[in-house]
Amino acid sequence: MNVTLNINKKDHHLDLKGHETLLEVLREHLSLTGTKSSCQESECGACTVMINGKAVLSCITLAANVQGDEITTIEGLAKGDVLHPVQEAFVDHGSVQCGFCIPGMIMSSVSLLEKNPQPTQEEIEYALDGNICRCAGYPKIFEAIRAAGEKMK
Amino acid sequence: MTPRSKFVDQYVDPVGKSVPRIEGKGIVTGQTKYVFDLSFPNMLIGKMLRSPHAHARIISIDTSKAEALEGVKAIITAKDTFQIKFGSNEYFFPHTVDQMALEADKVRYIGDEIAAVAAVDEETAQKALSLIDVQYEVLPGVFEVEEAMKPGAPQIHESQNNIAVILPVNFGNPERVMKEADHVREDKFYCPVAHPSPMEPHVCVGQWETFANKITLWSSSQAPFKCREALAKTLKMDLNDIRVIKMAVGGAFGGKLEMLPMDFAACMLSKKAGGLPVKICLTREEEFTTTRRKHGMIYKIKTGVKKDGTILAITGEVLADGGAYCSYGPTVLAAAIMRIFMVYKLQHFRITGYRVYTNNPISGAMRGFGGVQSGFAIESHMDMLARDIGMDPIEFRLKNITTPNMVTVNKMIISTNGLRECIERASTACGWSDKRGKQKHLKRGIGIGIAADVMGSKMYKAHESAGSIVKVEEDGSVYFFTGAADTGQGSNTALSQIVAHALGVSYSRIKCKAGDTEITPFDTGSFASRVTFISGNAALLGGQDAKLQILEIVAKEHQLNIDDLDIKAENVIFRKDAKVLMSFDKALELCYSFNYGKQIIGRGSYNPKTTPIDFRSGEGNVSGSYSFEAQIAEVEVDTDTGVVKLLELWDAHDIGRAINPQSVESQIEGSLAMGIGYTFYEDLRFKNGRVLNPNFAGYRLPRSIGIPKMNTILIETNDPQGPFGAKGMGEASLLPTSAAIANAVEDAIGIRIKELPITPEKIMKALKDRDDQKN
Repeated sequence: MNVTLNINKKDHHLDLKGHETLLEVLREHLSLTGTKSSCQESECGACTVMINGKAVLSCITLAANVQGDEITTIEGLAKGDVLHPVQEAFVDHGSVQCGFCIPGMIMSSVSLLEKNPQPTQEEIEYALDGNICRCAGYPKIFEAIRAAGEKMK
Repeated sequence: MTPRSKFVDQYVDPVGKSVPRIEGKGIVTGQTKYVFDLSFPNMLIGKMLRSPHAHARIISIDTSKAEALEGVKAIITAKDTFQIKFGSNEYFFPHTVDQMALEADKVRYIGDEIAAVAAVDEETAQKALSLIDVQYEVLPGVFEVEEAMKPGAPQIHESQNNIAVILPVNFGNPERVMKEADHVREDKFYCPVAHPSPMEPHVCVGQWETFANKITLWSSSQAPFKCREALAKTLKMDLNDIRVIKMAVGGAFGGKLEMLPMDFAACMLSKKAGGLPVKICLTREEEFTTTRRKHGMIYKIKTGVKKDGTILAITGEVLADGGAYCSYGPTVLAAAIMRIFMVYKLQHFRITGYRVYTNNPISGAMRGFGGVQSGFAIESHMDMLARDIGMDPIEFRLKNITTPNMVTVNKMIISTNGLRECIERASTACGWSDKRGKQKHLKRGIGIGIAADVMGSKMYKAHESAGSIVKVEEDGSVYFFTGAADTGQGSNTALSQIVAHALGVSYSRIKCKAGDTEITPFDTGSFASRVTFISGNAALLGGQDAKLQILEIVAKEHQLNIDDLDIKAENVIFRKDAKVLMSFDKALELCYSFNYGKQIIGRGSYNPKTTPIDFRSGEGNVSGSYSFEAQIAEVEVDTDTGVVKLLELWDAHDIGRAINPQSVESQIEGSLAMGIGYTFYEDLRFKNGRVLNPNFAGYRLPRSIGIPKMNTILIETNDPQGPFGAKGMGEASLLPTSAAIANAVEDAIGIRIKELPITPEKIMKALKDRDDQKN
């Protein structure tokens, strides 16, 4: 079936079987490997993208179901050479260790801060509860989100 | 006037600065490539055929139907291989080399590999697996350590009573001295199985260019050179026939320390498929059920003390559930017993360890390497001893801890030792004296645990050297090659900081290439918190060597004595008065000038001065230096629900010197989170050898909710052997967390938990048992 997906403000025309997940299409059809595949069963958050501004797990989203929606992946955040404030804050605050969870973590953070640039600690924790980081233990991620929120106000 | 170098705006000494991670921008934009992201034209997808039985004899394997399936390009079984066994403690325990990439006669756990398939896509590969017909004779299995050791239990390997290794760690005369004690107590602790669970599962791409006889394996590995060695051995090839390339690694935590059958299979399948690349990605379920996991341990310990708190003697026994194969088991067990000598001054000691085969999945290395289990047992036990004799647990520890410049009973040589300072700083920061035993009315409590760790250990081979190459290009940019495997801890950044300082130049000049067995120097890998210390010393030597090569040319040209010159802060200077002779860029122009044309290629090689462990007694100085650690936890317990809320953690760590303070803090915070996980919920459960919770829903990892405030206190003792004084620090903060929390729980509500994880059910049951006893 013919499917058109709007990803990072660009239309992609795809010929799909219909059962492909958005994660599969991003990584395997479009080589957008920034979105990570880790558990493939909606438990870890590594595959998080934004659909119409909302953080969504691409491993349990059917690609064919998100036609007409605005899909944003980690590759779509920076403007040219300029990093998104959340990306910049993750670098500056040393929030990154292995980095495999980070694209998903950043998408969840951006989705939170776009609605609420000054979240409370509790709001941050709830927004990130679906994103597992095994390396860094979260404090430096919390720090980065607070700092980025300041810039996004 | 000399034009300013493009590399230098304003020189900053990089050592001790929190420079951002080299890979940071690549990671946050999704540009960084992991093996999971790798793809090649005509790449095949490989899958492993695994045993559905915990213990069975293989009668026959028929692959003919699978081979006939369209799209299947290669199938391998044991008969296609040399059937050479591999293992990880070959140097010290050759008899524990016991696993084959594809088992030929027998399977020993659910998930044991017996065949592998490569096909054009995953669906075809999966279908081919289902068409392979294997006939088994199912054998009785054994799944509990104490059962497996009984005479008459099913025999998994050729060892007596399924005991792969007995370690008798023995000093002095503990039985005699125990009789002189004013107080003796004995405890038994249960430590569950945890799983490393890196976010990137195990993944590899293998390619065997058959006519060139050359293998390339892209592997998500924390020890690419060790992987190469195991491949060379099992495939009967030379080391330089095999190139293992480590890309960005999505976490490892000990689980990616060894070659796995999948690495071997990817190469063999590629050969059979005429050299096409073969990618094998483990599913999350395979990751949980077939990769190395933390040893479950039963830790029995008995200690005699004097009234004043002095520890007189310790005896005990450690039983480790090894699962089907030995992996790193013997050395994990040794580490679980011997770590105590770094922490406490002991003269009379005997703990015997047993590493036992069962038909469970394979236990191996996981961050903490035996120290998490022993940390829980010993630090809980010490707290209970202090309570028994009415002594403050901090006072009790200060009475018994190791000191700077001492030799332990098992001949460990401790030089710098900040343990006392760690304990004092952590207890001051948390307000210990105002809190301990004084918040029972709030059901709040505070507890301490202490630990020490090695920085390296000669485990799988005779040496543990690291090498470095520092290549200075004509424009003054610098390549730094290291074999060290950055798996996320930030070693590329920290080692580059060391090179920049050693060479006397700005950090921005350095580009790091790491963990490629064909182009970087050898390094044993990322384990035992060794990289900053051992690979760091190699980086330092490489930087210094390159600097001397430059100074040699400068001295010759200007007819000066090389000993009078140095390079510091981007300039060649005179040592005596720091006067600038010329800029670094000018010196480089000279090196690459018409008359000299001298390439600057610095090299470093470092192997720490240690002594081999005598595994008949436990004697040996295993590490070049030792790091120390004190941790305090404050909790609040809801006695209506049994929920323990972790309010705050304080962690004081003697790290020698922080090369990159931000990375050091991040390592500590990550360790604490992992320790929290092991304390409260990480528990891989089994029934008859089958993993019951092989997913993130059933096996809970620490998440953002429930992470307490973490206070890190860095103690700098400037170790004379460390690069710029630095020690290793990747694991120690994880070791005392469970005990610190368990000790805090007892302080809060008087309940002692000796079996991890600490769950609401266990708290409620203990409260009920106490009430029943009272009535």
